[in-house]
Parts: sequence; C-alpha cells; structure tokens
Amino acid sequence: MTATPLLKVTDLAIEFSTPQGRVRAVDGISFDVYENETLGIVGESGCGKTVTGLSLLGLIPSPPGRIAAGSIELAGRNLAKLDEAAMREVRGGEISMIFQEPMTALNPVFTVASQMTDVIIRHKGLTRAQARREAIDMLGKVGIPAPARRLDDYPHQMSGGMRQRVMIAMALACGPKLLVADEPTTALDVTTQAQVIELIGQLQREFRMAVILITHDLGVVAETCQRALVMYCGRIAEQAQIEPLFRSPRHPYTHGLLDSIPRIRDQRLTQLPTIAGRVPDLLNLPPGCRFADRCTRAQEDCRTAEPELTQAGQSAFACYHPIGHQPAEPVA
Amino acid sequence: MELLQFSVRKLIAGVPLVIGVTLISFLLMVYFGPDKTFDLLGKNPTAEQIAEVREQLGYNKPFLVRYGEYVRELVTFNFGASESTGEPVTSLLARTIPVSVALALPGFILGNLLGVALGLLAAYYRGGLADKFIMGSAAIGMSISFLIVIIAFQIIFSSSFGLNLFPVRGWDVNSIGDYVSYVTVPTLATVFVALGYNTRFYRSVIVEEMSRDHVRTARAFGVPPAPLFYKLILKNALIPIITRIMFSIPVIIISGSLLLEQYFGIPGVGKATYDAIVTGDQPVLKAVVALTAILLVIVQLLTDILYRAVDPRVSLK
Amino acid sequence: MNAQPPASDTIAAPPERRESLWTKAAYKFRRDRVGVWSLAVVLVYMAIALGVVFGWWATSWAELEGGKWEPPSAEHWFGTNIIGQDIFDRAIYSTRTSFEVGLVVAILATALGAVLGALAGFFSGSWTDEIILWFMGVLDSIPFILFVAAIAYSLGDTPYAMHVAMISTFWITAGRLVRGEVIKLRGQEYVEAAHAIGVPELTIIFRHVLPNTSHILLVQATITFVAAIKSEVILSFLGIGVKDGMSWGLMIAESTQEVLAGFFNNFLAASVLLFGLVMAFNLFSDALQDALDPRTVAES
Repeated sequence: MTATPLLKVTDLAIEFSTPQGRVRAVDGISFDVYENETLGIVGESGCGKTVTGLSLLGLIPSPPGRIAAGSIELAGRNLAKLDEAAMREVRGGEISMIFQEPMTALNPVFTVASQMTDVIIRHKGLTRAQARREAIDMLGKVGIPAPARRLDDYPHQMSGGMRQRVMIAMALACGPKLLVADEPTTALDVTTQAQVIELIGQLQREFRMAVILITHDLGVVAETCQRALVMYCGRIAEQAQIEPLFRSPRHPYTHGLLDSIPRIRDQRLTQLPTIAGRVPDLLNLPPGCRFADRCTRAQEDCRTAEPELTQAGQSAFACYHPIGHQPAEPVA
Repeated sequence: MELLQFSVRKLIAGVPLVIGVTLISFLLMVYFGPDKTFDLLGKNPTAEQIAEVREQLGYNKPFLVRYGEYVRELVTFNFGASESTGEPVTSLLARTIPVSVALALPGFILGNLLGVALGLLAAYYRGGLADKFIMGSAAIGMSISFLIVIIAFQIIFSSSFGLNLFPVRGWDVNSIGDYVSYVTVPTLATVFVALGYNTRFYRSVIVEEMSRDHVRTARAFGVPPAPLFYKLILKNALIPIITRIMFSIPVIIISGSLLLEQYFGIPGVGKATYDAIVTGDQPVLKAVVALTAILLVIVQLLTDILYRAVDPRVSLK
Repeated sequence: MNAQPPASDTIAAPPERRESLWTKAAYKFRRDRVGVWSLAVVLVYMAIALGVVFGWWATSWAELEGGKWEPPSAEHWFGTNIIGQDIFDRAIYSTRTSFEVGLVVAILATALGAVLGALAGFFSGSWTDEIILWFMGVLDSIPFILFVAAIAYSLGDTPYAMHVAMISTFWITAGRLVRGEVIKLRGQEYVEAAHAIGVPELTIIFRHVLPNTSHILLVQATITFVAAIKSEVILSFLGIGVKDGMSWGLMIAESTQEVLAGFFNNFLAASVLLFGLVMAFNLFSDALQDALDPRTVAES
C-alpha cells in the first residue's frame, strides 16, 4: 500500500440541524481508499456510515445537513468544495452508489432502458442507440438472462435480486473509479445476497475500481473486504486489515460486535452475547469515550476525555484500554 | 379487448351510483318536493279539478312508478320540457353546456398549469424564501371568498371606478374578440381563486414524490434538477394530478360555475340550473343531477384508463 | 412512525400515545407564532359573536337609523346602507351568523363522519361498509348547490335547510379519513386483545378505537368550519342560504347594486370581516395540523 490513495477523507464532519440543536452525525473521521481495494464500513444503524457514504457523492440532504469540516479528495480533487454542477459530473461518472432498497430505488414509471440509457448518455455523450447497446452489454455482465428483452421491462416486473443487478449495471455503466455500496444486500434473501456480493467482487476485479461497502453485516465484510473501519456514534472506533481485525480486535466495541455474530461454536451457548446498554444520544454526548457506558473495560480516564484514533501494531483504534494480545477466538 | 371488458365492468359498477343519485334527488326534489297542484289551477278549484290535476301530475301514483318514470326519462334521454320556458330540456342543455365549457375552460387550464408551475417552484425551494412567499400568497388567496373576488374583479376591470376595460356582464359572443372580452374577467377570477388551492395541492404532491428513494438514486447518478423535476418526479406525481383534474370535469361541464354565470349573467348551464332552482323547474333539475352522475361514472372509467397509461404498475383487472 | 401502543396490561392502553401526542402537540403549537396569533384572532371574533348572542352590541342591526349611504361617522362607523341601516352593526351581527353556521356544521358533520367512518372502517369489507361507501359516493356526486336546493324543497321553508345540506355533505371527508385510520387501528394489539376478552364490538369501536382518531377529527372540524362559513356566504348571496337574520353573504348581495353606483362600504365591511375570520381560521387549522402531525411529533 505504497501508492497514493484514490480517495482521501480527512477530518470529515457532517452536521444536521434539528429543532433541538445541531447534531454531528459524523465527527472528524479520516480514511483512505486505494484503487482496486474494497473497504468495509461497519456499524450499527445510526452510527453515521450511510451519511458518510452519501457525503462522498455530495448527497447529504441539505438543509438540514451539511459538511461542517474536512475534505474529501478524489484523485487529488476536493469534492467537498465542488459546486453542484461539477458534483453532478462526478456522480454516476467517477463515483457511483448503489442503495439498500432495490424495490424502491428504481423509478417505477420508467423502463430499465430509459433509466440506464439516460445515465449513459449523460456521462458518456453517446447516442441513444449506442447507449442502448452499452446497457444491454452491462445487463449481460451483471448476469441478467436475455438482457435485450429485459431492458424494456419496468422495475416492478423484476425480482429484488434482479433489480439490484440492474442498479449495479447502472452504477458501473460509466466505469466509475469508486463504487459506494450502501447495504446492497440487506433487503435480499440469503441466496440472492451471496450472489450479489460475489457479483460485486467479480466486477470490482474486472473494472479495477475501488469499492466502499457499507454494512452492518460482519460476515459480508469478512468475505469481500481487504480492510474495514468500524464506526460508532459518528467516529471511527477501529480500523485495520480484515485479518487482524477479526482475529484480534483491539477496540472493545469491535470485540462486542464480533462476539454477537451467531456461529457454530465449540460449546453451546444458551444465549448470544450482546452489547449491553444503548447508543448515546448524539445531542447529549458523554464527555469521554462515546462507548464508555457500554464498555466492560471502561475506567475513570475513559469518562473524562475522548480517546484519539492511534496506530498500534496492525490496527488503528480509539481506546485507552484496548484488548491486549491475549488470543481471541478464532474466526469461523 | 381487455380495455373493453374493463370498461363494461366499470360502467356496470357505476350503476348503483347513478341509482343512488337519482333516487335521492327524486326523493328530495319530486317526491317530498313542493306540491304543484295549485300552481296549475285557477282560483277556487273544485275537488274534481284538483283530482284531475293531481292525476295529470302523477301525484296519486305509487312511489316506484313515479321513480320508474324518472329512470325511463333518463334512459331515453327525454326529460320533457322546462316548466318555466317550455323549452325542451335537451335543447336547453345543448345550448347552455357549450357556453359553460367555453367560459370555464381557460380558467381551468391556466389555474392548473400555473398551480403545477408554482407548486414545483415552491417544492424545489422548499423551506426557502420563494417557498414561503408562494405558500403565504396561497394561504391568503385561499382565504378570499370566490364571491368577493368576482365582485372586486368586476369593479377593478369592468367598471368606471376601475380600469373599465371589459364588459360588465353578459355574453354576446360572435367573434374571437368578443369571446376574449367576455371571458377575461371571469377567467382571472377563477384563476385567482383556484391558484391557492392548486398550488398547495401540487406542492404537497411533489414534495411527497421528492422524498422517494428513486429520486435519491437519480441524484446519485447526476441527473440535473430540470429533468429530475420535469420528467422523473412529475411523471410519478401524475396520478394524484390526473385524479384532481379529471374529477373537476363533470363540475365544469354540468354545473358550470353557477356563481360566475349567475353574477356575470352568462347563459351557461350553471345559470340555467340556478334559474331552475329559483323557479322549481323540476325537469331541468332532474336532468342536471342525472347527467352529473352519469358523467362521473364515465370520468371514473377514463381516469382509471389514464392511470394505466401513466403508471405501468396499474392493471385494468 | 405510528407509535405502537404498549402491548401491556390494560386494554384501554393507548393513552400513553394519546397523552404524549397531545402534550407534544400543545408544546409545538405554543412555539408556532403564526398559529398562536391566528388563534387569538379567532377568539376575538368569537368574543364578538358571543357579545351579539348576549345582546351586548349590534342589537339595532335591522333598524333604520340614518339616511341612504351616509359616509362613515362617529355614529355610524362604517356608514349606512341603501335604506339607512348601520353597516357596522350589520357586519358585527353577521359574525354571530357565521359562527353559528360554522360551529353547528363543523361539530355535527364531524361527529356524523366519525360515527359512520368508524363503523365503515371497523367492518370494512362487509355490507355495512359497502353501504356507507355507496352513500358517500352518492352524496359526493350531487352538485352541492343543487343538493342545498333539493333539501330546501323537501324541508319546506325552514331556516335550517342550509345547515342540513352542509352537514349531509361535509361529513363525507371526515368519514373517509376516520374510516382509513380505523382500518389501520383495527389491526393493533389492543383491539385484538379487547376482542379476545369479549368486549362488545360497539364498545371497542366507540370507547377504544374512535378516541384514537380524535386528532384527525379536530383538524377536520376546523377545516369544515371554514368550508361552512365560506359556503354560507355564497348560498346566502344566491338567496338559498340564511333566510331570516343577517349575514355577510346577504350584505354582499345587497352591495352588488351599490358597488355599481360607487358605494363600497357595505361590500368592504362584509368582505374584510369575512376574509379576516377565514384567514385566521385557515392559519389556525394549518398550525393545528402541523402540531398534531405524528410524523413531526415523533421526531422532536
């Protein structure tokens, strides 16, 4: 990993104004994504992972949201400073995004052909006939049978898995450098999930693009990503390569997440371990570590000042009392 | 074929509505309505004369027979003649309906087009100054009675106290120029009153459509605001828009704008209806009520077919 | 978004949601400046109307007190009309007419809509529902002014034909809204629980389900109030509304001859007072709707 990163996010903070005051949904996070790499962003709902993904495309609903601080550099250009028109060129062209709900993410009253060719024409400047050929080609690549015929279908005539394939085809049609996939499989059934995940991986290798996979599903992360960052309450709790992250998580939150995955264990557990307590209210954050109230390792210093993300060994984590080198449970 | 079957089914399903409307109007206006016996008799009628007139008017027949006669009139489209002028009701309608349509159409079209435009504008700048200004004006417009607008516009545009540009009232149309001069003030009044309601309605429809997932998808693929609004969002918003427009049609064709026609003395079907109300002219009233119901059934059918044209998810089953 | 009622102890459980809905709504409403001011204006109108009822003012609205078309003076604040009646008194007296029509129609139409809507919704799919829906469709399909006239015919010369006609048509919107809401509520646990322990159906509908639609009914009543006073003016103007007494619509009808002669006092007095009341009530209704919207309540 000596190359310069494709995407460099530095100290990104995203604010929302609410009737009760301003809320920082994302509070000073930094990460890099390299070409040809898949980065996972993991966390519970509300931790800021989706907002982070949307911010990369300048899609934070504004008002009430805005990027309050930080930069998002794509190949050296700061996207946070681009105006709306320039950002539209980036969207769907350089960065594409696919969403969680394939059932509602496509426009119900236009054919797949119309929605795909519009995107291709806009970013590649082709004629309608050329764009149509490209669209058929892409649909074939994402594994839709008889693509020339399915192209003129409406979304409601397709299954959920098919629609997500169409979304992926649309997203990749203009050869983006970065694909942001926000929970792309959550709404699908298990077999389809596996197929879609595999498809994303295969296309990522084929197109040599970078992928950011936003998910709460650690299994998916383990399968597809090279690196992952774990978000908690708008901040990065831990960031590492997949292998060390799963083998020896340093942040107690990461440990808790891994522990709560159901899997085949040596001894039968009567109950799945959970992380006690609740995510703190973003309006009333504790002064110290945001995880302290739920943390079994928390001590006095955790409640006075917030720990910074620091590199130690193979991981970067934000914790005063990380889990040491004691052998963690092997990952299934 | 599918369309034909659907239409037939829909029209049959409309029968209970027509029966209900005719039954209620018959009950209220005719059966329990004013007794006309003594209008037709001279002074000091004898008991035989009274009985004779009642026989003529059918008052001594049983309820079902009398209602049946109304239904027969409706089916054969023969409502008889107006009691006050003697003009056949069908010719009265044929004479007045085109006037009403000509009077109402420009205002209807303008009111809806402007309403959609302002609704889009307000929705696009949601929460901003333009939105607040448009919606504030709409709230004021909605609070002014149609009646006041009509009178005020007449004073402003057609009287010697105002601009005095247009005829005060009447409908003496022999050319396009006449038409424009007579239709302008009523149209301005209609648009003024409709605009508040329309803008509010269209804004809320569009705002709702703006929040859909597929709009976010479109934005994520770099669709600029103009095609996003005029193509993607508007087509999705068409169902409620079509509903609103289609169901206004019977009102325009049959009732016209009763108030407008009455105030400006325009010989449309609205004024004819008003005159019939005032004089108790039952054949005219029966025809107007029954035609409205039939037209509504037809409009419902057309609306469903239009839904199908706009939204591929709608099936005509 | 619809808060689930706690699936717990008592079957009349929803109060938790209702209470929080109403207290939150009151809180939101108090912070809505436009809403509070419009309510204040409505209350001023109401005080004027009550004063007329108790005979504190505008008692001589029908008397000939001056000459034809006197200009405004200390004695006749808005001048006099064509036969020398005091326009100010007449305009003030008409406030009472408006409130009477608005309140009677709003309350009875909403109540009727609540009862029929709840029955249709609770028994949706059954014959009861079909018949109520058919009735709604039928009444909706008769042109309003014709319907008023028809009711007037059949009731003879009563002054209440207009009220009856408005109530018979304005209940439909409330009915449709309540029907939809009841269909939603019917599937909730507390209703099923009540069923399970044998609470009679009518008790379930009117004691346990209908109260949970009260926020819809309140907003709908304010909307109906405005519709009623606007319709009253037009019907009275057309001569099929207020028969005895005075109303802004009758004043405007009087004024149509006057305005062509350049005398605007009668027209202006009625129009401005009508506009003020309708505008204030519309804004109040909007603020109420915002405050009671469960979506925004849930977020704050």
